[in-house]
Amino acid sequence: MTRAAVLLCCLACLPTDPTKVGFATLAGFDYTEGMTLPKEVASLDEQTVTIAGFMRREVPGSGPIGEFLLINDACGCNGTPKLNEIVFCTLPDGVTMDEKPGVVTVTGKLYVGETKEEGVVVMLYQMDADTVQ
Amino acid sequence: MTRVNAVRLLLWTTLSVPLLALWPQGQDAAADDWAAHVQKACTSPRYGLRLAAARKLAEGGDAPVPAIRDWARQHGRNQLPAALVDAIADADPKAHGPAVLALLREWSEDADFFWRAAAMRGLALRAAATAAPGRHELAAWFARCHDDPAWLMRTHARLGSALLDDPDAASRPEADPRARVRLAALLLGQGRVPPLQPLLDALADERTFRGDPWGRRLGAEAHKALKAWLGEAHPLADGGSFADKPAAITALLAAAAAKSGQSLQPPVPRTDPATPFTGGIEILSCKHGDVFVQWTAAGEVFAGLDAETEARLPAEVWQRLTQARAALPLGGDLGVVICDSMRLEWRPPDVHVKVAPGSLPAAAAIWLEQLARAVEEAGCAGLGRDLRTALTQFAGR
Repeated sequence: MTRAAVLLCCLACLPTDPTKVGFATLAGFDYTEGMTLPKEVASLDEQTVTIAGFMRREVPGSGPIGEFLLINDACGCNGTPKLNEIVFCTLPDGVTMDEKPGVVTVTGKLYVGETKEEGVVVMLYQMDADTVQ
Repeated sequence: MTRVNAVRLLLWTTLSVPLLALWPQGQDAAADDWAAHVQKACTSPRYGLRLAAARKLAEGGDAPVPAIRDWARQHGRNQLPAALVDAIADADPKAHGPAVLALLREWSEDADFFWRAAAMRGLALRAAATAAPGRHELAAWFARCHDDPAWLMRTHARLGSALLDDPDAASRPEADPRARVRLAALLLGQGRVPPLQPLLDALADERTFRGDPWGRRLGAEAHKALKAWLGEAHPLADGGSFADKPAAITALLAAAAAKSGQSLQPPVPRTDPATPFTGGIEILSCKHGDVFVQWTAAGEVFAGLDAETEARLPAEVWQRLTQARAALPLGGDLGVVICDSMRLEWRPPDVHVKVAPGSLPAAAAIWLEQLARAVEEAGCAGLGRDLRTALTQFAGR
């Protein structure tokens, strides 16, 4: 009985599988500053998620990066991604990587909500990216 | 009380006259502000701040146009960010005057400008409110771009024509599935109801290209457009759950048919062909148009995002090409991609690289030239021509 209880506790403490999230959900609404986010989006705050998309540098350049934008489309001319079409990803401290071509799958903790700088919203989705595959 | 006010007014006027003399300095300060906003929109290291500055400029009407022109003159037009052109194109046209219209026209006519298609969208969205003769000139310009090789350019040109009541613009033949969906979505967004079947078809599209789920992306775009247009009649819970996809599509089809009065058919699910592709090339070019090529280990070469066109290469030709491809030294830094790009992906050996214009190594360019010749000889002249055109842009200089 005690053994079973300990086992259940251990199982409960194991990290759960990341929730698979798509841009169809993240970007499936017209975002305006200050709006109440749809519940299917707001409920993802502080969840560990997996999102597939394209890596893009915040500023064009070359060399390894510690931060990147995850977006839904490879083609930059296909319309500027809106704030709800971008996940701002940060790799762990000290970790950098080369920008990968094609679709990547990023897993980590997602933070949902407006972040302001200089009085304007600069981010809606941020992620502490643990893995990029 | 009235007399007191009159005295105050006189005093206020007396004090204000010298201040008004200083007004030109205020205008200079405003001009400086626009220059600062342009600088921020183009160079801020933070994406969100660039976006916000672009929005501010777009909302400024004609006033910031000289500052934008100055910046482009100093740094090059292609250093302007897409966000700025998009923001101007999509801003409320009522805020804009002839200076913005002229700027958009100039940008859309520049074949080397990365964001010419966005400028074309800006023109399209302003065309109906433009008075003659400018309106007729725009209509003629749209018509000249109906078959532009870049899919977004021709889509936006057709949008402009459709919004100017050209009855054929929206029904022109279109091979690119992205263009069919985008035009229908844009028209819906403008309150015009085009044939909705392309949007319904996109909902069931699951096709991919070298790992890129473009079919699902089209489906999401189509759903977003339908959802906004249907409004209260949108039938799906939680903003659009596709957990039960067939049921969701059936519900959307019924709602769209009821609102539009169109006879809509259930979409046929589209998936990738069973053919096991082993490699491919994706060329995204706002200038020359996109090119998609995939092949099998046996030498069947398919062209198009949807792999609609096929060329079967003779075994000995394919073997020679395969051996030459395996020896290509590809990897490392292949240029900084701003807009147009080439992606090469195959195995074996495992290669997956992205190349900027003018950065394709010489050996790879020679191989691509050989591939172009081989597909031409196999009867696929269009693909051969497209690959050669791409080479002029991407081969190392």
